[in-house]
Amino acid sequence: MARFNALDGTNGVPRVAVVAAGVVSPLGFGLEETFRSLRNAVDCVSPVSRFDVANCRCKTAAQIPDERLLSHRRNGRKNARLHRASHMMITALEEMLRLDAEFKPELTVIGTTSGGMSFGEDYYRALHRHRNLRRAPEWISNYPPQKPVLDALEAFGISTPCRIIANACASGTNAIGHAFECVRSGKYKRVLTGGYDALSELVFVGFDSLQAATPDKCRPFDRDRSGMVLGEGAAVLALEDLESASKRDAQILAEIIGYGISTDNHHLTQPDPSGSGPRRAMQQALLSAGCSPKDVNYINAHGTATPFNDAAEGKAIAELFKRVPVSSTKSMIGHSLGAAGAIEAVACLLALKGQFLPPNINFHNPDPDLDIDIVANKSCEAKIDIVLSNSFGFGGTNASILIRNAGA
Amino acid sequence: MSLHIAGAGWVTPLGRGVDGVWNRLSRGDEASAQPISGEGDNTYSGFLVPTKALKDLPPHPRLRRVSAISRFAVAAGLDAIAQAKTIAPNVDMERVALVFAASNGGVVYIKRFYHGIVASGAQSASPLLFPETVFNAPASHLAAILGINGASYTVVGDGAVGILAIKMAGDLLESESIDFCLVVSAEEADWILCDAYRKWRLLKTHPPIETFCDPPRGTILSEGAGALLLARDGKVKIDLIDAGGNFSHQRNAGDIVNRILRNLRDETACIVASANGTFVDLAERAAILREMRRSAVYSPKPALGESVGAGAIWQVIVAARALEEKRLPPMLHASADAGLRCGTGEIGSRAIVLSCGLNQQAAGLRLSM
Repeated sequence: MARFNALDGTNGVPRVAVVAAGVVSPLGFGLEETFRSLRNAVDCVSPVSRFDVANCRCKTAAQIPDERLLSHRRNGRKNARLHRASHMMITALEEMLRLDAEFKPELTVIGTTSGGMSFGEDYYRALHRHRNLRRAPEWISNYPPQKPVLDALEAFGISTPCRIIANACASGTNAIGHAFECVRSGKYKRVLTGGYDALSELVFVGFDSLQAATPDKCRPFDRDRSGMVLGEGAAVLALEDLESASKRDAQILAEIIGYGISTDNHHLTQPDPSGSGPRRAMQQALLSAGCSPKDVNYINAHGTATPFNDAAEGKAIAELFKRVPVSSTKSMIGHSLGAAGAIEAVACLLALKGQFLPPNINFHNPDPDLDIDIVANKSCEAKIDIVLSNSFGFGGTNASILIRNAGA
Repeated sequence: MSLHIAGAGWVTPLGRGVDGVWNRLSRGDEASAQPISGEGDNTYSGFLVPTKALKDLPPHPRLRRVSAISRFAVAAGLDAIAQAKTIAPNVDMERVALVFAASNGGVVYIKRFYHGIVASGAQSASPLLFPETVFNAPASHLAAILGINGASYTVVGDGAVGILAIKMAGDLLESESIDFCLVVSAEEADWILCDAYRKWRLLKTHPPIETFCDPPRGTILSEGAGALLLARDGKVKIDLIDAGGNFSHQRNAGDIVNRILRNLRDETACIVASANGTFVDLAERAAILREMRRSAVYSPKPALGESVGAGAIWQVIVAARALEEKRLPPMLHASADAGLRCGTGEIGSRAIVLSCGLNQQAAGLRLSM
């Protein structure tokens, strides 16, 4: 395959445009509300209301209010049975199709970690407590991770093969990166991609048991960071061969220009402290785009606020990039796992469109061991053409994508 | 780009190893069902992997406390690499991508982890169990053991996920940066899955799995793994993959299966179907009768059980081996009234694998030799 050079031209390799997007997250419903919340540094974290957290160390998460999510729900008996995650996917896809109703994907690539997990929890609790299992068939059939994606496609009459990527917390970025490669290879013209995850008790307690979740505020890259808070949401992006998109006069929101993936075999849940895994993913993304580190104007970090992640990621960023603004939007919306990479890609699109740097809130004390420039607490205007978005996950999965402003 | 099978690994209730399992299928052997009991009053039957099948796994630290699904995946993956090395000794792990496929994932540890929360509260949740509940834990262990540090993807779906994983591997091999893609699919059986599939009206309580009956009589769950090392060269070629699509109701499965078979159609090919005693059989039967009624048909599921996420790769292994041997194993417990050619006779140089999942996905591919 010919080496692509994002800065010099295409060398005959297809360029990959983002022609539409849709998002629902604790920041808001849709691109406009998300843009305002990012700009205004809204802290979306609140006490958990979905399940009992009395015995957990962490008691907060960034949640999408049900009354608002379900008010978007379509009518019908079947829709009433769907999992919240399905409604998130439907809401995000609806917005995307509003922006580009002509987008007809050949393939769907979506990231998630836990599908309709809370239905599995309902089933197990009912079994364990010998309660009524009348709803068991609907819990079981709506529990699998492909189901919310299929529900969303069905809602809008889209029929494509689906690849559901479950690479833990890197799933969303892996999905976008893989979709990007599918279009850039020339095998596909249009791919629908993104990620979703809904908050569940099992996952919440899991991170709490690992002491990866914090009882404090989420403070990525801060000296006093003590862990993540969880979030939830869904985001979808419509990727299309730029030439094909231009021919039909589609709106070009941005271009995906590079993708890197690496596997860190150090440990199932902890990154190699050297930062080698994230560094390889970022280097590969740069190589795939034909960019150098100095071309990158902003990094949307994985930045979970766990001591280990931020140390490894911060080290890798400091080694590769000189004085590039960095923020973790997880400080505002928590870690939405399989949705994180997709929501953060949307945050990057909005940053490119609005020419601003999204903030890293709750940042008060720089970590003397991390030589990186944090966009502290407030968003700020900036001229940005190329941004990098990172996602790393359990199992040592590391993924980075590079996004370029449409006009650049 | 051409896609070939360079090596295979197989962990099943009939044992481990492509030659061994094939020989048993050829003899008409059927796995022995074992009782699976659990939280409720019901006891189910399942086809389980014999303990001795995994006795020679390497003493790697990653395997100390992993779930069965990870052990199955590692065993099958290592076997596929070992088989490929007999013809391609220089398999460089730096240039191997991994695609791991599953449907239910590490359900044993998920249940055990959540049981702690339900029974004793969140404070009793085990930090050792939680990481093993993640879908990509088996892929992580396998990558660590093999030294794969590049692309590793875990894909999830229903029984068709194995074909979708092969399709993805084909897309990954478009990149010059990799020479091989190891596709591994695995599943573990547990009482809670049996109970769920029973409540979903797909499971019967005792074998045999009777295929192509109308109305369907139900399936039996099983477990294990299958692995394929895919490359640009090899003895068996994957001619065409139809990544299919999705059906919203069981009654609509036939339309999409028919479309897939029409796309893959080759009058000289045999068909390795996913018939498992459920609605899938009716969808496949109708499609075969319409599109390729004279083709020889075989389903491995009466012998090996319904291994869900692992099932499609098992079918591909059967099909590839059948092409090499120029014959299909004897089909067990197929309805005589189905009007299909379920027999052993000699087959040609092409085979079609049909995979219709239980939760809305269907796909297929065609092999040649």
